[in-house]
Amino acid sequence: MANDSEKPQLLVNGKRIDGRALDEIREIKIQAGILNKADGSAYLEWGNNKILAAVYGPKECIPKHDMNPYKAVIHCRYAMAPFSSLEEHGRSGPNRRSTELSKVIREVFENVIFTELYPKTAIDIFIEILQGDGGTRCAGITAASVALANAGIPMKDLVAAVAVGKIGGEVGIDFSKDEDNFGESDLPLAIAPRNNEILLLQMDGLLTKEELNKAFGMAFEAVKRINKIQSEAVRAVYKNTE
Amino acid sequence: MRIVVPGEMIADSPKEISYAYIDGDKTYSSVVGLFSEQDLRLIPLQGPYVPITEDVVVGVVEDVKFAGYNMDITSPYKGFLLAKECGREQFDLGDIVLAKVRDVDEVKNVNLIEPRKLLNGEIIEISSVKVPRVIGKKSSMLEMIKAATKCEIHVGKNGRIWIKGQNSATATRAILKIEKEAHTDGLTDRIGAFLKEQTGDINGQ
Amino acid sequence: MEILDEVKKDFVIDLIRKNKRPDERDFLSYRPITIQKDVLTSTEGSALVKIGNSQVLVGIKMDKGTPFTDRPKEGILATNAELLPLASPTFELGPPDERSIELARVVDRGIRSSSAIDLKSLYIAENLVWAVFIDLYVLDHDGNLIDTAALAAMAALLNTKQPKFEDGKVIRKEPMDKLKINARAVTCTFAKIDGKLVLDPCLDEETAMDARLTIATDENNICAMQKGCLGGFSADEVNQLIGVSFEKGKELRKLIE
Repeated sequence: MANDSEKPQLLVNGKRIDGRALDEIREIKIQAGILNKADGSAYLEWGNNKILAAVYGPKECIPKHDMNPYKAVIHCRYAMAPFSSLEEHGRSGPNRRSTELSKVIREVFENVIFTELYPKTAIDIFIEILQGDGGTRCAGITAASVALANAGIPMKDLVAAVAVGKIGGEVGIDFSKDEDNFGESDLPLAIAPRNNEILLLQMDGLLTKEELNKAFGMAFEAVKRINKIQSEAVRAVYKNTE
Repeated sequence: MRIVVPGEMIADSPKEISYAYIDGDKTYSSVVGLFSEQDLRLIPLQGPYVPITEDVVVGVVEDVKFAGYNMDITSPYKGFLLAKECGREQFDLGDIVLAKVRDVDEVKNVNLIEPRKLLNGEIIEISSVKVPRVIGKKSSMLEMIKAATKCEIHVGKNGRIWIKGQNSATATRAILKIEKEAHTDGLTDRIGAFLKEQTGDINGQ
Repeated sequence: MEILDEVKKDFVIDLIRKNKRPDERDFLSYRPITIQKDVLTSTEGSALVKIGNSQVLVGIKMDKGTPFTDRPKEGILATNAELLPLASPTFELGPPDERSIELARVVDRGIRSSSAIDLKSLYIAENLVWAVFIDLYVLDHDGNLIDTAALAAMAALLNTKQPKFEDGKVIRKEPMDKLKINARAVTCTFAKIDGKLVLDPCLDEETAMDARLTIATDENNICAMQKGCLGGFSADEVNQLIGVSFEKGKELRKLIE
């Protein structure tokens, strides 16, 4: 959390710093199948977030000791580029944050992928944050779902993700970096849009039960819209080749 | 026919459809694919190759062992060709071999039979889900390409294709065009026209 | 993987003997090149370059830093390359391997030797200088990563804006001045396959090459070279390729302006 003396006014007349309403998500653009070597890929722009996701597999499981005789194992890497932040140059390589996020993201996809179809194999999911402006794990999950579908890997749903929480005393959705730094709470969610099952849930900061349910409501609404953008991106690959 | 995506409902009752799954009383697609309402068929537009019995595949010898050969068959699972299936023929590392899948056991060993070495050709690889389009109904597409280019062509179910002949470049281009446009209508006519245009040039020289 | 490489290698050599390349290019021409500058707002400078199917994204960040003790009056130039595992099935997770270190160092040498950046101008005060971080992010690997990365690095440097330093803090707010760039270093990479020399090898050609030579030039000078792989070159061959590099260098420089 940043220094309080620099805290900007996050809400003015119900509008946010960038003019959005509390329940309004940033603009999302997704392009599938943009990489040449990967089995599936997606490039996503979500506000100022720019994210590349790719999938390899199912393939032979390396290292061998990871292998599961009953299902495919999923490897997931979430990583931020050293130039992805508006501030100073970052370090490359995994850190404690990226390791935790890689784990919770992997668990999302272990839920939706029919891993039992491909015993003894591995499916690798790579999420590279090229530019980050708040909500990168949610944007990364949204992009990775499209990359998995693009790879033709059977799964239950195109998972969509978005963060909700509280800024300037109000419940809102999809926070930018500044809002996240100075807001009261942050609740990233990944949701299967088909049945609203919550597959990733993390939270920091404070929320009442009422606020939490209001936030869930906002997330369920947003996820429908995000899912539409995802499906269009998956389909678009097959529409421009006439 | 329409393009469906994972999680999209394709029937509001439980139906057994390949690449789809049933949840509660409804049926959903699990892949990006072409779905036909009339015959309730879902054809994936992308996806890995998983070998099944009777598939003819184009493999590459990856390891030579006493008992036989390990073969790469562009699948997460390796093929194995028992030496005794090869008669007098012996294979070397890197040889390209046409073979049939006898069976796939429960630990996903893929047993190959009826090997045949393919010599001095070119190899291209396409997505295995597009192979049915390259072959066409009753082999019509493949026969058309063979006739027009006078190439010898072997199409593996695994998406690996072996081509040999003077006009192999034209055959390659035609096959890559099929892969790219596999989901569109009128493909046979377009490929026919493409082949005519290409081979016409060659004959006209 | 290696076995398939052998099969591809035979195929490429066979073509080269017939004076052909897999994508039917001339021996001394590049694949299509596209350059997008200013693609990331989080950076001080950025560019995305594609040569054929190879893609490299370069992000440039400027920060305050402590000078090296042997050069107390000079700023810092640090180049790092990431072979992202999503770019190729042969790139693995873990610490930088020799391929990424070589890539970063060859690109760095071209820029450094050409004096594209005047490091003395990056001095701020006693024990305080600007550091320029060049991160080469390989997004898609289809051969000749050196030229793709070097071109992206130079294109990114050309649109790099220098933050201000006020009251002990780095201020990254407009208006900012452009970082002064004094030369434009570009590289040309050649592969020797079955005794023949080709420019801009694609991945299949790289699996078949006996030797590789990269020549970095600026407007007037050769500013870095690097030979790779087992095979060798004669002095005549090197001279011939230097000539080609100066010719092609002019075209590449036009593309990044």
